[in-house]
Amino acid sequence: MSAAMPSAQLTAFAPRIRIRRGFSVGFMVVALLAITVSMLMLGALIVEIAVDGAARLFTDGSATSQEVRGGTLIDLPMPDGMIWLSWALPVAILLPFFGLRVVRSVLSDQFARSRWIERSIGVLTTLPVAIFVHILYVRFESAYYIEYAKAIGVDDASGTIFQLFGEASGFQFVRLITAGLILPLGILAAGWLWSHRLRRPSLLLPAVAVVAWVVYLFLDPLFLSSYPSRVPAQAGLFSAITGTLYMMVITAAVAFPLGVGAAIYLEEYARRNWFSRMIQVNISNLAGVPSIIYGLLGLQVFVRVLEFERSVLAGACTMALLVMPIIVVSAQEALRTVPPSMREAAYAVGATRWQVIRFHVLPYAFGGMLTGNILAMSRAIGETAPLIAIGALTFIAFLADSPTDDFTVMPIQIFNWVQKPQSGFHEIAASGIIVLMLVLLVMNATAIIMRQRTRTDW
Amino acid sequence: MSRNFFGLMRSSAPPATEAPDAIGSERAAPPPPPTMKQDDAASAGVHLDPNLEAVRHDFTEEVDMALKLRGVSAFYGSFQAIDRMTMPIPRNRVTALIGPSGCGKSTLLRCCNRMNDLIPGARIAGEIEFEGRNLLDPTVDAVDVRRRIGMVFQKPNPFPKSIYENVAFGARINGYSGDMDRLVEDSLRRAALWDEVKDELDKSGLALSGGQQQRLCIARAIAVQPEIILMDEPASALDPVATLKIEDLMRELAEHYTIVVVTHNMQQAGRVSDYTAFLLAGEERVGRLVEFGPTQEIFTNPLDQRTEDYITGRYG
Repeated sequence: MSAAMPSAQLTAFAPRIRIRRGFSVGFMVVALLAITVSMLMLGALIVEIAVDGAARLFTDGSATSQEVRGGTLIDLPMPDGMIWLSWALPVAILLPFFGLRVVRSVLSDQFARSRWIERSIGVLTTLPVAIFVHILYVRFESAYYIEYAKAIGVDDASGTIFQLFGEASGFQFVRLITAGLILPLGILAAGWLWSHRLRRPSLLLPAVAVVAWVVYLFLDPLFLSSYPSRVPAQAGLFSAITGTLYMMVITAAVAFPLGVGAAIYLEEYARRNWFSRMIQVNISNLAGVPSIIYGLLGLQVFVRVLEFERSVLAGACTMALLVMPIIVVSAQEALRTVPPSMREAAYAVGATRWQVIRFHVLPYAFGGMLTGNILAMSRAIGETAPLIAIGALTFIAFLADSPTDDFTVMPIQIFNWVQKPQSGFHEIAASGIIVLMLVLLVMNATAIIMRQRTRTDW
Repeated sequence: MSRNFFGLMRSSAPPATEAPDAIGSERAAPPPPPTMKQDDAASAGVHLDPNLEAVRHDFTEEVDMALKLRGVSAFYGSFQAIDRMTMPIPRNRVTALIGPSGCGKSTLLRCCNRMNDLIPGARIAGEIEFEGRNLLDPTVDAVDVRRRIGMVFQKPNPFPKSIYENVAFGARINGYSGDMDRLVEDSLRRAALWDEVKDELDKSGLALSGGQQQRLCIARAIAVQPEIILMDEPASALDPVATLKIEDLMRELAEHYTIVVVTHNMQQAGRVSDYTAFLLAGEERVGRLVEFGPTQEIFTNPLDQRTEDYITGRYG
């Protein structure tokens, strides 16, 4: 009995540790916000329809809501009030939610360490930014749809969104409804995560939101799945995207093993003498050589001497040479981050040099190496000059079947469009640049995320 | 359980007369004279400067020698770290190397399993006899030496892998084909860590506390079944409780292994070691052996004035 007493007391006074299961509060707030805002957007549309219907009713069906409001053609399709309402309501819902927490924190004398304050400040400070972006978007989108209405010849073309419903495709309709929400919600999520000190702050969600928003705004899926054409409206990036992918895969397959192998040799095997120092200096210098020089080298070595012709293989080999120094240097840095104590520990249990490298140094450095490789690839993906030098084509209306086929890549296709006199091509060149930028953004984001994830705290 | 299941040294099997099977006849073989005789070194072709002869106590105990160091000098580039050290390492005993910082204790320790080979510019002269062969001989495979003479470092350095993998790694790369689970359990038990980690063998070795990490490193060293374990200040980064655990562990391990431990802590040397070597660096920062003998003798009745000064704390 007496033995049981202290333990009972201990349990009574032990701080209760609650393990949160299921969705985190952050997730639920963002979800709540998303649901509220989209419901209100739909509500605003319904209100608009009602206003329009009322306008027709009051004017014997002859007038539209546009005339009632006295707007012009380039007016907002949605009343400003609706936009504000669509934000005011969630704020009205959320403020008490956070406010209550704040008050409770103050009352319970835990004001200083309340994470809820940090979190609500994070969301509340980003809210105005989100609202501003939302309004900007709605203005942009409505102007676009009014133009669209004119183009497709909707008869009265009053500029209201719902009059286009009959004409717009399902995709456009969905885009219309959702696009205005993604970026603002992304900003809110960034605000949330920024203030979310418990976890490592992650920009993944906001980054994905921004990317998705840009894709929604600018890209017609047809643009990604069409071959080049003489008609700007029908031209697409399909062969350029697949050509880029094809070339990048081969470039990585050539450059990564060679570059990592060179780095392992230089870091782990080579003695520090004049020869290894010379190689080291040379690698650093090669990283600074203008890319057109690599193009000329590739033209002579791969296209002419090795007779690869103007193929994917020739382009990939040239690119591999171009990015090799970056891969070598970054892999060396990754190898250097493995502390000597790890090597000693492995040697001390009787590992050979190769076993130390194979089982310890390489696994610990692999994340860093892969990051360097991705960054090198993102450099290669934007390079144009060397590929022009080896004669990559600009008009490819088929997919490359084998590495020896002709090919084109995104920057060359864009270059080609920019050169054309018709303004339509200039516009799709702009779209192409956005696609290229997105690919780069995704690759660099992947590299950064991987660097974070594979980091070991020794 | 055979302690030699990995086979003998790869380079060449030691002569049967000189180095019998480590476990079978270790006690049966007549122990060589415990103190190093001058003619021992002379017969090995090592010239010993009589002035460098360290003071030695006569052993009454009959012990076998796991290692015999004869005139071992080590250089880092042009800098000489230790100078012609000649001493034995008794088998299945704990030998402590003590001395002020920079006197070459760690260097001497790292010579014993050729870890210094890994440092560019490091050279070793002299001879270390291990099972009848000079392990400093370039024809001897350093990898084999390190397999048979394990090492535990000052700072706990478990691999960033699971506890299980940490222990199993050494055995696996050395071609151990027996029951790995048993080996891991056995090693962890001997390192007095099993009870604390048996339910979370998948956890990263880095997630353990400092003391546990060091015991994991000891388990890792045991798992390859070495003859000798070298410990380079194994408890200097640990708190007193963890230090005590490591010390207890050293005493237990001494039943099966020869242990050489470098320590800055005089009490620790007194508590755990059977034999003690006192090293001191002279004016030119070259480490030399001053005195070697049973710990009891060294601590109670040092023959050299410098040893007495160091032990009584006059060196600081």
